[in-house]
Amino acid sequence: MDSELIHQIGNQARDLLESGTVKGVIGYERASDGLTARPFFAYEPAAVERLIFDETCSYNLVKYLLDKKDEKMAVVVKPCDSRTINLLLNEEQIKRDMVFIIGVTCPGVVETSWNHKGQTLQARCQTCQLSKPLVYDFLAEHEPVERLEGELYLDIQEMETRPVTVRRAFWLEQFERCIRCYACRQVCPGCYCPECFAEQLDPLWMGIRIAPKENELWQTIRTFHLAGRCVGCNECERVCPVDIPLSLLNRKLEKEVKELFAFQAGLNPEELPPFATFKKEEKLGFEE
Amino acid sequence: MKLFTSKDDLIRWLNSLLRERIIVAPVRVQELTVFQPISKVEEIAFDFGNTTLSPKGWFLPPTETLFSVQNNDGQPKLVPAVIEKDAVIFGLHPCDARGIALMDSPFLQEPGDALYRERRARTALIGLACHQAQPECFCTSMGSAPNDPSHVDILLTEVEAGYIVQVVTEKGERLLPKGFVEYKGALPTPPEPQAIPIKEVIPAIRELFNNPYWERLADRCLHCNICAYVCPTCYCFDVRDYSDRGNLERVRSWDSCQSSGFTRIAGGYDLRPTKGARLRQRFYHKLLYFPEQFQDVACVGCGRCIKACPVNIDIREVMSDLQQLEAKSES
Repeated sequence: MDSELIHQIGNQARDLLESGTVKGVIGYERASDGLTARPFFAYEPAAVERLIFDETCSYNLVKYLLDKKDEKMAVVVKPCDSRTINLLLNEEQIKRDMVFIIGVTCPGVVETSWNHKGQTLQARCQTCQLSKPLVYDFLAEHEPVERLEGELYLDIQEMETRPVTVRRAFWLEQFERCIRCYACRQVCPGCYCPECFAEQLDPLWMGIRIAPKENELWQTIRTFHLAGRCVGCNECERVCPVDIPLSLLNRKLEKEVKELFAFQAGLNPEELPPFATFKKEEKLGFEE
Repeated sequence: MKLFTSKDDLIRWLNSLLRERIIVAPVRVQELTVFQPISKVEEIAFDFGNTTLSPKGWFLPPTETLFSVQNNDGQPKLVPAVIEKDAVIFGLHPCDARGIALMDSPFLQEPGDALYRERRARTALIGLACHQAQPECFCTSMGSAPNDPSHVDILLTEVEAGYIVQVVTEKGERLLPKGFVEYKGALPTPPEPQAIPIKEVIPAIRELFNNPYWERLADRCLHCNICAYVCPTCYCFDVRDYSDRGNLERVRSWDSCQSSGFTRIAGGYDLRPTKGARLRQRFYHKLLYFPEQFQDVACVGCGRCIKACPVNIDIREVMSDLQQLEAKSES
């Protein structure tokens, strides 16, 4: 645990709460296992004592801003999470002046689950290109963080070499386990529709069955709705109770969008995402 | 009656059971352990902490067809769901067996749920005593124990060289093969799960309905359905009719009080519109409404929700917080 970093986050959080600049600070505290982290909302200056920051702080806390649109909140943001800020600014889901961003430099986080802390950095951290948050109001920084160079899509490329029947069989097996708990949706900062298609009754898209066909439809549409929007925080995969490797789907579409439109979500709050815009010269593949 | 079987004889017995019945047992699927019907006895995982999902899904499947209506040239024909084979759930821990006993209260109370009742009558439970307590377990605080035989038909306890076989019910006795010898030794000392104080939980929860505690706790809750779906006693479901070219199917699927549409009624009004109200419902149902209706607290201390919650909403911590809040409000 980096006590210097925690000190800086805590001081900033206390100042913000004492001065009344924000209603609350969203950060991390120790979980009930005494080992990992969990999200924490500090509303009183005394509560900032509970804030921590270490390699178990995997959560992307930016999602919580969607629940707190009416109050100015501060949020602890890792470099990767800052892409979510940009995404939500870009899609006009949050207002910049209603958020105070406590950025942190981050040496990477490990896989965690309750009472379990992994030994190696998460795969996404091993290829992380960001040394500090893209956007912040205050930066808690300590040791300089080395940028890592790595191939981003090795597993996707490997998957692409497999025949379509093999890929299909693989995914059907994965989706069969899905229990439609919607944890992947609930944790996703890009999933904020007031009424999700999965629950819509009129028109009825998929119904309530927790069964292979519906599960497949659910996961397919969920992934497509995030094409060019997924910021790669990988929270969906982390929270999945039945270990469906969702990042393989999300990053496949990320790769496609990157190749087709040279676009990656959340890198720039001003740039319109491909599916929010249309250019006349775009090739549609029909009636050229 | 206590008997003994070697592991080899146990496997032989299971093989003979499998010829006539469905055996639902813990099976490893990648990193998970889940209850599912097996095709070979070798698939069974004997050594596991707790399964990822509870065995409740055998009696209340994630999705099932309650009945269908077929269109025979304009003449509708009602086709009820049929349960074809008897079954055995093998290897469930005593906490999960107690979970099933708790589910019996709502489902078997008159007029009862026909499908649940039939599945329950035609399924025998062969339990496996726990030889190790998990960090998230607290069954002894919730009226069960790692070696509790109360809610199974047969309980197996692993000892060196084999298993002690306690035959609990007549249903269990009928399953038993000939040739198991009597076991004269004592049962091994069970492991000791963590004990938590729960004596004051019900009075506390009665008083704290409007406490801001719930909205604060719900701040970090994602309102996914994980806790309800992994829970051995959560039993809420949704029912819908689906029609296709004149044929109709009435389907029941798991649902949860945590999802936002759960209490939305005609006209769009939502009885529990806030995150806090929804999260509170989970604990009120388990710790107050269920005991008011059926006596027991609807938690068996299996710890699955603790382990699976993505944001660490820990029911033990909630119970402790409530008792402290109540003590504070009294003083």
